[in-house]
Amino acid sequence: MTIAVKKPAQYMEYVEALDFLDEESRFEYIIDIGKRADKVPFPAECMDDAHQMHGCMSKVWIIHTREDGRHNFRGQSDAIIVKGLVSMMTGSFSGLTGPELAEITLDDVRGLNLGALTMQRQVGMMAMLKHMQKLSSRADHAEAAD
Amino acid sequence: MNVIGQPARQAGHNIEGGFDVERIRQDFPILSRQVHGKPLVYFDSGASAQKPRAVIDAMTEVLENEYTNVHRGAHYLSQTLTDRYEGVRETIARFINAPSEDQIVITRNSTDAINLVAATYGRKFLGQGDGVVVSAMEHHANIVPWQMLRDEKGIELKVAPIDDTGVLDLDAFAALLEGNTKLVAITHCSNVLGTMVPAAEIVRLAHHRGIPVLFDGSQAVVHSTVDVQALDADFYVFTGHKLYGPNAIGVLYGKADLLAQMPPYQGGGDMIAKVTFEKTTYQEPPHRFEAGTPAIVEAIGLGAAMDYVSAIGMENIAAHEKSLLAYATERLTAMPDIQLFGTAPGKAAILSFIQQGIHPFDTAAALDRAGVAVRVGQHCAEPLMARLGVDGTLRASLAMYNTTSEIDTMIDALERARTLFG
Repeated sequence: MTIAVKKPAQYMEYVEALDFLDEESRFEYIIDIGKRADKVPFPAECMDDAHQMHGCMSKVWIIHTREDGRHNFRGQSDAIIVKGLVSMMTGSFSGLTGPELAEITLDDVRGLNLGALTMQRQVGMMAMLKHMQKLSSRADHAEAAD
Repeated sequence: MNVIGQPARQAGHNIEGGFDVERIRQDFPILSRQVHGKPLVYFDSGASAQKPRAVIDAMTEVLENEYTNVHRGAHYLSQTLTDRYEGVRETIARFINAPSEDQIVITRNSTDAINLVAATYGRKFLGQGDGVVVSAMEHHANIVPWQMLRDEKGIELKVAPIDDTGVLDLDAFAALLEGNTKLVAITHCSNVLGTMVPAAEIVRLAHHRGIPVLFDGSQAVVHSTVDVQALDADFYVFTGHKLYGPNAIGVLYGKADLLAQMPPYQGGGDMIAKVTFEKTTYQEPPHRFEAGTPAIVEAIGLGAAMDYVSAIGMENIAAHEKSLLAYATERLTAMPDIQLFGTAPGKAAILSFIQQGIHPFDTAAALDRAGVAVRVGQHCAEPLMARLGVDGTLRASLAMYNTTSEIDTMIDALERARTLFG
């Protein structure tokens, strides 16, 4: 399925950019995003166990904030490729409500057209999506309980 | 050769003109494929080796023409396949020079074999306060089963250290044998560093104190001739899929008197002599340890793999791999940003390294783009990574079918990685 509710601008920008590229260029594009991510420093204090997404081959940290019922994410990794991927994921799927985020599926991740990815990395990206969905769901429930 | 359809061609590699890697490569269908538009360079044989046509054909032949269950039927297919299956046990025994095929227990893999020893020998003969000596460079398969036994029985896990080049500290090892040690369970060849431990000396030191020795031979059996009698090993385990055979098939060799004293591992069909609701009696080894329908086709595949390796000659394979290792080491050490781990003399063709300033995952991604398959991460040896002071490494594990030009391809890809990520 594609994103029925809302197509965030950043997601569409990635989709369109990658659509024009061949496999090798997609690979370099992801690396570029990973390198560019460092231009806005990730808070060092958030590279801790509390923000770490466990189970990845490289270290991944994700910051989650909730504002006006919409969820925003920021990601970091110690590997540039993964930093690129996590940046694309957090960029693509920030700004959504909890229900909107819950609608995102692996097909939407595939919609990014990351042909340069191996299956293992696709699985990793799905794990990132599930992690983001879990963080948003938890925050929404906490808000509702207050 | 016990391989239907292929014997003459496969057996010819080691004659007249010596080792011919190009001819060997033709035996491995997958090596002609491309990855990301580039020829596949497969440097991940330490994780799992590719399969020669002889193995594929042998397994296909069984599935197409001979398949049934073994050890059960009185019919023709069952009798002939049982003979063939049990014949593999003889092939395995010959391959490691075991005195008898009755000392060959067929398992799922090395992990299964070590768990079997821990759950049977360990539970029966090891108790509170007894020590099991392992090394600092074990695969998790030779750590966790003993930790589980530690949690259950209160045994002590004692770790023999290595030096910075990956050589086992034999003096420290000998010291650990003193006191409470009741078993040595140690890798014969490190899956990360390629270090071959001084196996004969380890056995001599342990036996001097009456301590049996189990070797994890998962890597050693691929790169060197293993003779369990010459080693005087008490237990020797290895897996089929690293030895050019299929997965889900492995081997536990044990000394006859030890196997005879060990209780069953799992209960079920095949491992019993007689069953009533009141009492069950068990088969003699090795069948006592093989409950349920075995991996029949995989066993036939493993037999074919051993025949294939034997026809080429392990000494020829080892010589080829030695020259590959020397070339790869020379090329990697010439790169200023490469840090190599494990330089023990006489090591096997396994190279662990990192590209300084670049995450191993990124380097591996660049290699993958060039068609080069390596393993990246902790290689199921997390304590060794801690000892080396790294989160993970890249590992190029070489095999009989690799070439120096493939090593050149990897070096070029490492230079490209420097450009991309540096």
